Amino acid sequence: MSLNELMIMRHEWALVAVALILLIAEIGMNENRKQNIKLFACVLMTLVTVLGFLPADTGTVFGNMYVTDPLRILMKNILNVGVLIIFLQSFSWLKQPNYQDRITEFYLLMLSSLIGVSYMISSGHFLMFYLGLELTTIPIAALAAYEQFKSKSAEAGIKLILSSAFSSAILLFGISILFAASGNLYFNSYESSDSIINVLGFIFFFSGLAFKISIVPFHLWTADVYEGSPTSVTSYLSVISKGSAVFILVIVLTTLFRVIQPMWQEVLYATSILTMTIGNLFAIRQQNVKRFLAFSSIAQAGFIMLGIVGGTALGMATVIYFVLVYVFSNLAAFGVVQAVEQASGKVTVDDYNGLYKTNPKLSLVMMLALFSLAGIPPLAGFFGKFFLFTAVAESGFYVLLGVAVLNTVISLYYYLLVVKAMFINSSDTPVTAFTSDMAMRISLVVCSVGILVIGFYSPVFAYIKELCVGI
Amino acid sequence: MIIFSLMAVTSRRILRAAVYLLFALAGTAALYFMIDYQFLAAVQLIVYAGGIVVLIIFSILLTTHINEKLEKPAPGKVFITAVLALGGFVLTVYALTQHNFVVSDLPQTEATVSHIGEKLLGYGEGGYVLPFEVISILLLAAMIGAIVIAKRKASDS
Repeated sequence: MSLNELMIMRHEWALVAVALILLIAEIGMNENRKQNIKLFACVLMTLVTVLGFLPADTGTVFGNMYVTDPLRILMKNILNVGVLIIFLQSFSWLKQPNYQDRITEFYLLMLSSLIGVSYMISSGHFLMFYLGLELTTIPIAALAAYEQFKSKSAEAGIKLILSSAFSSAILLFGISILFAASGNLYFNSYESSDSIINVLGFIFFFSGLAFKISIVPFHLWTADVYEGSPTSVTSYLSVISKGSAVFILVIVLTTLFRVIQPMWQEVLYATSILTMTIGNLFAIRQQNVKRFLAFSSIAQAGFIMLGIVGGTALGMATVIYFVLVYVFSNLAAFGVVQAVEQASGKVTVDDYNGLYKTNPKLSLVMMLALFSLAGIPPLAGFFGKFFLFTAVAESGFYVLLGVAVLNTVISLYYYLLVVKAMFINSSDTPVTAFTSDMAMRISLVVCSVGILVIGFYSPVFAYIKELCVGI
Repeated sequence: MIIFSLMAVTSRRILRAAVYLLFALAGTAALYFMIDYQFLAAVQLIVYAGGIVVLIIFSILLTTHINEKLEKPAPGKVFITAVLALGGFVLTVYALTQHNFVVSDLPQTEATVSHIGEKLLGYGEGGYVLPFEVISILLLAAMIGAIVIAKRKASDS
């Protein structure tokens, strides 16, 4: 095994290196200068993200345990950018005196989770896939309980760890059935068949993944965990965790389970309709902004399923594009929520009344994010949804398309409720005018630019589509 | 093994549940002995039956009162859960019996410790060094996570 071969795993090496550097820095650093570690972590993460975009060799190493290709590299890059934005947004939150002694731990845990995501996306073996999945979840469960003196945060941690342990057990059972059916755990030489035992294994496997994507009926943990966790962790859960699970689902469905495609099409068809509808209907009723975004993200997961149902290369390309747009829109929304929460401690929709009068720029970003999530032209979210619907129509699922369009209208209603609160409603006690710190402003600008540019700049979609041709 | 597993999840005293779990784990070890995989059976006994159960009992003793009984679940819930579990069980058994298992034609290998060690550190086809290393990252992350949860506020200490 040569160094060149090892460099195929460049993404993971870089992340592991950053984690180790931070660990050593934490040990050696003077107590009074701990704040600098935030800047240090962001600089390192920026380097890793830039490194990820440089051209890289692709192939397999460790006897097909680890696979990478341009598509997987793109997925990792999207998620790296997302984590970088989350790092920037967490600056002012970590400044609070309560967290002084555990700043580095926040970055370490998030980075190890990201390492897990990378390995999961690149896995060529069920064992690697499972390890990646666990590595993704366990650090995040610890992070959900980060604000340990708040009972809600502790509750979020325990709920996340229990439900993910449960889903992992189901997933492992599915994998063991699949192993029994084929006697092989390597993805590349996995011989799938459409026998009943394979279908059963797939169902269990899919249920385990559906927990991570929070597809109805596996969504019950979502709202409580999202509400209780610190906002940075919530945005990680709703964007990175979910995005990575979607990516691996795309990979697995188009390779391992291609044989039983009619089967999984039916499963996805039903769960997609359920997820969109239930997510939307519950979102209308939410008063807490984080719970509201939780249900909105469940509904978005339903839309993501739309692209996968067809099983075509176009569908998969639209899914990846949609996730890319979703990363920017959702992170912008969570960024604003976090900024407002830091400045005033307010988290309900009513608290946003009159936000435009006091903080016009923040309201503008929030409006962009929500419009993009709802899919209003000319923002990127519109193109994301439009391509998804095209893919569905192409595959001939017209009923599904009808339900999806109906759901878009419902979602528009509740996204507009928040916009109305910000711009039209007046309040006696609005959030006072404040300026957030530099890092938060940079992250919000990046998100806004992402929302605007990805929609207009067509080579992005063309590039993704080109990468998806093979699947 | 099955009986003890059932007793472990239905027992209303948490310490008894832990002891039933011990027997269930020992039963699993016996299964490994039956398929002539002594190494795994020994590991199962030492790590799970020996280590994990002791750890569980310690944490129970430290956190709860022994005499405490868990609430009795509502009969309606018990019924629904039992029906669902039974349905899942029947479905799985049906699927398994429908499948025509083929006997593997791979040559049988001796599961000696040295062989396992070589495979664990092998980097070719069938080698497991990468998962081995990823597990080390996972353990490090889990340790840091445990520290984050257990750490007191700076002002307390």
